[in-house]
Amino acid sequence: MFDKKDTSRGRPAQTPGSSGADRDSRPATPGRSGSTNAAIIGRSIKIDGTLSGDEDLRVEGQVSGTIRLPNHCLTIGKEGRIKADAYAKSMLIDGEVSGDLCSSENIRIRATAKIRGNVLAARVSLEEGAHFKGSIEMDPKSIDRALGKRQTQAVASDGGRSEPGKPAAKLANVEPAPPKSGAAQQTAGDKSLKAESTH
Amino acid sequence: MSRRAGALSTDKDVKRTVNVPLFRSLMDSLAEDRRWVILDLGKARPRTIDLLSRFRCRVDVADLEDVVVASLDQRDESATDPVESLQAMPQPERIDVTLTWDYLNYLSQPQITGLMTLIAKRSRPGAFAHALIGYSRSVMARRPGLLAPLDEGRLIDLSTGTPDRPATRYSTEDLDRCSPGFTIERIRLLTSGMQEYLFRLRPGGNSSG
Repeated sequence: MFDKKDTSRGRPAQTPGSSGADRDSRPATPGRSGSTNAAIIGRSIKIDGTLSGDEDLRVEGQVSGTIRLPNHCLTIGKEGRIKADAYAKSMLIDGEVSGDLCSSENIRIRATAKIRGNVLAARVSLEEGAHFKGSIEMDPKSIDRALGKRQTQAVASDGGRSEPGKPAAKLANVEPAPPKSGAAQQTAGDKSLKAESTH
Repeated sequence: MSRRAGALSTDKDVKRTVNVPLFRSLMDSLAEDRRWVILDLGKARPRTIDLLSRFRCRVDVADLEDVVVASLDQRDESATDPVESLQAMPQPERIDVTLTWDYLNYLSQPQITGLMTLIAKRSRPGAFAHALIGYSRSVMARRPGLLAPLDEGRLIDLSTGTPDRPATRYSTEDLDRCSPGFTIERIRLLTSGMQEYLFRLRPGGNSSG
């Protein structure tokens, strides 16, 4: 279910149902984070590199680099800190973000959020008390252009490997990760979440 | 947006509202079908984002509140100057409209000059800047940025404490002198003890940028 390529420092990231110390960082409210079945990057986990996947993700730890979940929900929990550009179908931000956020559907910025960066989404909601410094794109034409460009680039950067009719799993304006060696790739069912080091 | 602007829940809310005709005329002009770049010097507020989401725009949120208060109280000598803070913020597109809210009241005249000069350099020819300046009261709230739009023509005062900071009460002459590049296009006296200002960038007013 969770593929890692020697990038995390500390314990491996966990999914709900797995044993470990991050049980209390599981999504508490169904629907809030998009899914109670979201994979979780626990509080003690630090990841440098590119995260991409095909399931919902909740970050309570630290991620630097890039996060790409074009068909799923990304939640940055209250304990989560990302120094990354992120692209997801939808986002819920409770924690700290330094980087640009792009969503094809909506971004919810909650009162506890601290964001420094730019936000681009079809719909943006912000709660009183949230700290935000940066720009919010609200021009539908610019949003469509940016999202369309990303989709097109994503297909191109996917090298034609994407199945027809399915959105590409990777975004374009991201440096491709260098080839890895010796890193096992695991999948469970039809879900996968990859952490690729850029270092 | 999750909450629509314009809802007044109590009579107390009604008393805290103020009609802002120049703000309304500014919002009316945003209805034109073109892209606008809006600089908001204050915090990102749900009501502001809600209102501006009706227009084709990009909103750059400078969030100067803490920097302005720290500078004013001189609590921290290493505190970033508001102008430096805005300078550090990337501005890839020229600004069409700047919302200063009541922030100019909380800046010294050299700071206003620095801020307005920087805004002029980053603005498109003919750009607007909107400001609310206290003129009648001798005291003002501890913190700026406690005004939020209810709709295109009304603001609500979100402050809760008793105003206790000495008011700067800048005159029109002060503001004109401190706003190189801009002309004061219109002024309105408001019932709240504030004056509403609409500045417009003069032709060539951003030439030094």
